Amino acid sequence: MSDEEDFVPDLVPAQYAPIPVLIITGCLGAGKTTLLNYILTEQHHKRIAVILNEFGEGSAMEKSLSIGEEGNMYEEWLELRNGCLCCSVKDNGVKAIENLMQKRGRFDYILLETTGLADPGPVASIFWLDKELGSDVYLDGIVTVVDAKNIVKTLDEATEEAMSEEPAEQSTLGTPARQVALADLLILNKTDLVTPAELDEIRSRLVAINGAAALLPTSRCRVDLDKILDLHAYEKVDFKSLEKQFTVPGGSHIDQSLGTVTLERPGSVRRRDLESFVHGLLWEKTVADRRGRPVHMLRMKGMASVVGEERRLILQAVGEICDTEFASRWEPDEPHVTRLIFIGRHLDESRLDEAFRSTVPVVSEHQSDAV
Amino acid sequence: MTDGRVCETPACNKSASLQCPTCLKNNLPPTFFCSQECFKSSWKDHKAVHKKAEKRDSDRYNPWPKYFFTGALRPFPVSPKREVPESIPRTDYADHPKGVPISEQKVRGSAYIKPLDDEEVEGMRVACRLGREVLEEAAAAVSVGTTTDHIDRIVHEACIERECYPSPLNYYQFPKSCCTSVNEVICHGIPDARPLQSGDICNVDVTVYHRGFHGDLNETYLVGEVSAEARDLVTVTWQCLQKAIDIVRPGEKYREIGNVVQKHASERGYSVVRSYCGHGIHRLFHCSPNVPHYARNKAAGVMRPGHCFTIEPMISQGTWRDEQWPDNWTAVTADGKLSAQFEHTLLVTETGVDVLTKREGTTLPRFLDSSS
Repeated sequence: MSDEEDFVPDLVPAQYAPIPVLIITGCLGAGKTTLLNYILTEQHHKRIAVILNEFGEGSAMEKSLSIGEEGNMYEEWLELRNGCLCCSVKDNGVKAIENLMQKRGRFDYILLETTGLADPGPVASIFWLDKELGSDVYLDGIVTVVDAKNIVKTLDEATEEAMSEEPAEQSTLGTPARQVALADLLILNKTDLVTPAELDEIRSRLVAINGAAALLPTSRCRVDLDKILDLHAYEKVDFKSLEKQFTVPGGSHIDQSLGTVTLERPGSVRRRDLESFVHGLLWEKTVADRRGRPVHMLRMKGMASVVGEERRLILQAVGEICDTEFASRWEPDEPHVTRLIFIGRHLDESRLDEAFRSTVPVVSEHQSDAV
Repeated sequence: MTDGRVCETPACNKSASLQCPTCLKNNLPPTFFCSQECFKSSWKDHKAVHKKAEKRDSDRYNPWPKYFFTGALRPFPVSPKREVPESIPRTDYADHPKGVPISEQKVRGSAYIKPLDDEEVEGMRVACRLGREVLEEAAAAVSVGTTTDHIDRIVHEACIERECYPSPLNYYQFPKSCCTSVNEVICHGIPDARPLQSGDICNVDVTVYHRGFHGDLNETYLVGEVSAEARDLVTVTWQCLQKAIDIVRPGEKYREIGNVVQKHASERGYSVVRSYCGHGIHRLFHCSPNVPHYARNKAAGVMRPGHCFTIEPMISQGTWRDEQWPDNWTAVTADGKLSAQFEHTLLVTETGVDVLTKREGTTLPRFLDSSS
């Protein structure tokens, strides 16, 4: 089309619709594949891509990808170009997905299944991109499928192994516990194979590790899909449905001392104080437990009231990456409160609270809540 | 969900909720603008991304007949792989069939930034000084008529003379010993048989591996008579690097670098390339930290004494977007306009920063140094 180029067209409203990437993890045999197949058949009017196996690892030139469309599945190939992986901001795999979509059209969802032994943390970091990159994909959340029949045994075994020597590097942590800790949604599968009493025990074990994740019991992974898709787990934080959790105090280290702590403070704070506190925790390891072991944070979510600001500040963190962003406005009669939820190892609630109070002072108060 | 959309017009930076209908219609990546007025003002430049495939020159060397080039630059034949004598210690990827750096893969995804001890710092000082010497030799050869392949040969031989392995060689199968990026090429240009022309801007990026450590640096050079616009872009790019270096000290956050670079670039009407970033460097060519050059990034980590990393802003005249040639390396601006870059390897000291790859005797880059 040659030179009608001087005619400036009218701008149209921007449609920014990146595609959600859902990471599905869990031990071997927990039911990930069952879940995937269920999603693909139930959502047969949507175009869903399923990527199997490891992501962000190895130097494979291609990864196979299955696309579910109108009830059928067909294979595609993700070309992982062997170009510069080094100083590239986007992972090779992310670029490969974007290229594929440019060529073959967009998907409605991308489901990424990690193998049973994988740690979903690094994969989440790969997909939690800066908005400035304008990527076609975004991280919707992590779903962990848990095998009700075996999970307690698996967690116990991992704990025993971890207790025998104190692991120094995070890479030696028991993967099953990590998969639970990083989940935004826990699908407790095979509930038909355990008794109600056992089910309760399993629930408490899971919630003790991760108090922030929603928990869906199921058998054969037949879940209500509205509860799995569109989690937006890295964008919004829903505190209304969270239960307050406490770490197991002192000596009995269930599940390698992986646990959840929540902190709450009425009043407003300064954004930079909160960010300094979080950066200190994540990068500087400024807080330790009673035995001097530094906090190792796996996941954080928070909502803060910032002084002089009508909107809530949302905080998200996974691994060492964190971000804060303003979201919806406070309701007129809603008390302004700052709430943080921490999931990780060596969490000591009193130590965390102390550090929080000293680093993040309440600058002004709203309502009649006294400190 | 807030989406951080910012107006495409290079200096604008306002929040953008409107998009170009032509990009949408032609299945190009969506481009966002803050207002019709702003869009009109940058229309002349923006429409470059809409251009359809042009007539192909069938008698010229064209390895990718279907590829639509964003600018005027074309690839030329690449010479055979150059060898490095066995006596020079090699990197782990030098002899890997796919050029994979196993040592880097091991720590991939880790955000841990290693503070170097005194001995390691000394190793870095030497490698960076040698890297600077190699770059200066290459710079002396940059002139009208010289091919980028010739520059590569000079770099290759200069490395060998100094008992260095040229780090880019075979890194993920990169075919040459340095990167030469001309005009609209943002970075990772592969040296080839194209002679430099008067008016070109040419970046030469050298990394050397000496006794276990890498030193990484680059400069953009002006070839012959260069336009005032090109010269301004190169100058501002260099200033962006300087301003970023000025904030390096213990306690500073790595994510702040991008804020400083983008602020200066947009004030002067330019955009910041987002796809490539600075990186940690020592025994590994590329490792933590990640140092994006755009504002509001999520880079993790705080600077501490002993940290070694590069800052290497790529600044473009037009859009920030980049594309890749089918050679899987050459990164070009999506609109074919010019892009410049400068890079140093830095060491965080107790009180501030040490520029390990600095030029001897002057703080000026070559293009500003009339004595060169």
